[in-house]
Amino acid sequence: MTPQRSETWVVIAAYNEGRVIREVVREVVRKGWHVVVVDDGSRDDTAAAATMPGAVVLRHAVNLGQGAALQTGIDYALRRGAREIVTFDADGQHAVEDIPCLIAALSTADIALGSRFLGKVEGASGSRMAMLRAATAVSNSLSGMKLTDSHCGLRAFRSTAAPALRITQDRMAHASELLRKIRTSGLRLVEVPVTIKYTEHSKSKGQGGIQAVRILFDYFFRA
Amino acid sequence: MIIRILLLLGLAAIGWFIFLRRNRLPFHIMTVFLLIGAGALAVIFPDITQRAADLVGVGRGADLITYMAIVAVMFVLLHYYSKFVDMQRQLTQVARELAILRGEVDRVAPPAATEQRDATRG
Repeated sequence: MTPQRSETWVVIAAYNEGRVIREVVREVVRKGWHVVVVDDGSRDDTAAAATMPGAVVLRHAVNLGQGAALQTGIDYALRRGAREIVTFDADGQHAVEDIPCLIAALSTADIALGSRFLGKVEGASGSRMAMLRAATAVSNSLSGMKLTDSHCGLRAFRSTAAPALRITQDRMAHASELLRKIRTSGLRLVEVPVTIKYTEHSKSKGQGGIQAVRILFDYFFRA
Repeated sequence: MIIRILLLLGLAAIGWFIFLRRNRLPFHIMTVFLLIGAGALAVIFPDITQRAADLVGVGRGADLITYMAIVAVMFVLLHYYSKFVDMQRQLTQVARELAILRGEVDRVAPPAATEQRDATRG
């Protein structure tokens, strides 16, 4: 067995990521983290591609959405005695080198959110950056928070904070739901600079304008 | 008039359908039969709806029926929407438990292929 780092679990929610998931999981496993991949009912070979020694692969029988997949991974990590939980995107846009920085930030906070605007962004177009800034502005005005980046998938939190942060938004509105729960629970929050690397693949899986409307609908009418 | 026969046949068909599938509470069945009965009365004696419309200040009996039907349909839609949201939440719960359970089973008793691979590695 590879030496696995204490009680930190990395949760990766994946849907139809068969092309890239193997490399992403391999990187995280190589660094010695516990990994749980939740295959959210993919129609491709995501589960098989993610299966390797050192990684747990769970599979939703049907596609439920990213929020539901993350919560399944979080539940599993808690079952296995996780003390810190990291959420990591499956499409390869995050850097494993950022994980220790997030964990270190938990010494003085309950939850650490990655921020690409404090850190670095590679390979994004101007319009994508503008859209992300707009999303952050909208989200800040909804949540009453002052974040530099509200929709970064790379986050870490202590297991003690997990019950307060429980995701009930199955699809994409979970990011906004999380912010609301951070604010109302009074958890200590810190933003950590991270590097986001956009590839053609991760861009194709990004959220467009129509999805934004759906996210807002979910946020307001399914809360 | 042919329309009356058609409407009454339709109501009778609904009644028969409900009667065949009577696995619900007696209260639900009674409500449906009362509604069907009221509908049949309105078809046979259209004056009833006209008098009801005059009573509440609507011009025609048919208009009153339309307004009430719209409100009823909206209520039914909302009812089934909230049912739908509940069921989605339950589905999430079931799929989640199943995923975690399967993960735990694989951990205790790994699938044959990986078991052999792990065993040879030691």
